[in-house]
Amino acid sequence: MNDGSVKNPGIEFWDAVRGHEGAETGQVRSQVTSIDSTTLINPMGEEWRLYRMDMLIPTAAIVLGLTLLAIVLFRLIRGEIKIQGGYSGQKIKRFSTFQRYVHWTTAILFIVLALTGVILLFGRYIVIPVFGAEIGGTLTWLCKRTHDFAGPAFGVALLVMIITFIKGNMPSRIDLQWLLKGGGLFGKHASAGRYNAGEKAWYWTIALAGTLVVLSGLVLDFPNFDQGRNTMMYSHWVHSIGAVILIAFAMGHIYMGTIAMQGAFEAMQTGYCDSNWAKEHHDLWYADMQEAGKIDEPTNEPAGTLQLADNKS
Amino acid sequence: MARMKFYCDSERCIECNGCVTACKNANEVPWGINRRRVVTIKDGQPGERSISVACMHCSDAPCQAVCPVNCFVTTPDGIVLHNKDTCIGCGYCFYACPFGAPQFPTDGAFSSRGKMDKCTFCAGGPEEADNSPEEFRKYGSNRIAEGKLPLCAEMCSTKALLAGDASVVSDIYRQRVVNRAASALLGGSGLQQTGFQPSVAGTGVTSVPPESGKATAEPTGMPADDVPPSTQVPAPLQ
Repeated sequence: MNDGSVKNPGIEFWDAVRGHEGAETGQVRSQVTSIDSTTLINPMGEEWRLYRMDMLIPTAAIVLGLTLLAIVLFRLIRGEIKIQGGYSGQKIKRFSTFQRYVHWTTAILFIVLALTGVILLFGRYIVIPVFGAEIGGTLTWLCKRTHDFAGPAFGVALLVMIITFIKGNMPSRIDLQWLLKGGGLFGKHASAGRYNAGEKAWYWTIALAGTLVVLSGLVLDFPNFDQGRNTMMYSHWVHSIGAVILIAFAMGHIYMGTIAMQGAFEAMQTGYCDSNWAKEHHDLWYADMQEAGKIDEPTNEPAGTLQLADNKS
Repeated sequence: MARMKFYCDSERCIECNGCVTACKNANEVPWGINRRRVVTIKDGQPGERSISVACMHCSDAPCQAVCPVNCFVTTPDGIVLHNKDTCIGCGYCFYACPFGAPQFPTDGAFSSRGKMDKCTFCAGGPEEADNSPEEFRKYGSNRIAEGKLPLCAEMCSTKALLAGDASVVSDIYRQRVVNRAASALLGGSGLQQTGFQPSVAGTGVTSVPPESGKATAEPTGMPADDVPPSTQVPAPLQ
């Protein structure tokens, strides 16, 4: 409606400067030809600042803190998960040498990336106050560089790992029952094949979120392809959320694979697992192995007497 | 305390890129890096306007907020400086800055970002001794330490680009706006006859001879010739 008032002649111009929707900018040019050099004001920057400072950093701290707390609580309540039948001394081949190499390459790169990434995220509040700007800056710089170089290597390792471990990680009906029983965490026995639903969930998380994190990371890692700020912001958005999810999951995985459960670590360490461990945690896989004759001396003795079998083989 | 600001008057900027050149020369900015740029909107159309833009030395600077190593410092003059020894070249300031001020040289393998470079308001670096060779190598000249304003604004041929204390810069611009409005209303010719004088609260130029306007502007090195000749006629009619 025309109320006869005179429009501020500056409105159209500042709409164009701010890049408001519907503003007529015509041809925008600059003698300086660098990334986004013709964008005078990019309002997305402020959105990203709010995301990083007010959302990402506190949320990541809460998520990772709660994960750690849950692990500690679980340890205090449940304690170490022992092999109930004790070590049988009878070994079953669980992982090939190649699988173990792939696992550990990916794992080491992941830990390096997670630690350096966490320092990039929280370093301002931890590293700089502790070490001061001079040393803290250099440390963070080293972390950033390490992150940059380890990233693409992790991408390759991840791809090989996804292919290597896909066998046995396809979801099945048993997984639902396993999940309904809480994975046997609370005492009840839950049947599982070669991998249980928890391991499968971890596999698919690292396969999907890991791929997203690697792809978005590559966008951030190579600024020389002239991608604009907004592309990088979206990438950082994907990268940071995916990374926090992966780190939280990895904390659980590392705990379960090392000190949580008797007999779990040696499977990835030596490639062989104890038959009693397999029987208790992967009973269906154990049965399959037995059927296929992959176990040297199949035994039907009750679990309690297996302790005596230690020096049999 | 002064708060240093840039302002580019788009009605005056003629896209000569003198500020860009002056900046590169005064600070010996590396090849491929431009701390300042001129952007033209509606190039070649009616309503074409140009604006020179660099770091705006925000009071609540986004770059400063997001920096993972906290390398930014706001000086008591309101100039946002960053420490190149602490900077890790992550590019976060580049994402957050609305003006696209942070620039990055490529450094080493993977074309990683080197230490960030941006306009320092010709105030050098935050730590080194003023005008030391070390400071010049990293940050460029320190004209503020010499009592001078940034070279881009000092050299601006049309005085479109203003630099200095925010209150002085805004006074000058306010005066220009009032003059332009009066000029438009009176068809550009009536000013002398009406004895029009810009009357802007708080600027010290209300109905006083232009000399005192000069006194306000001079300490910051501002040009005092912003009052159009027509308003400098001393005798008001009233």
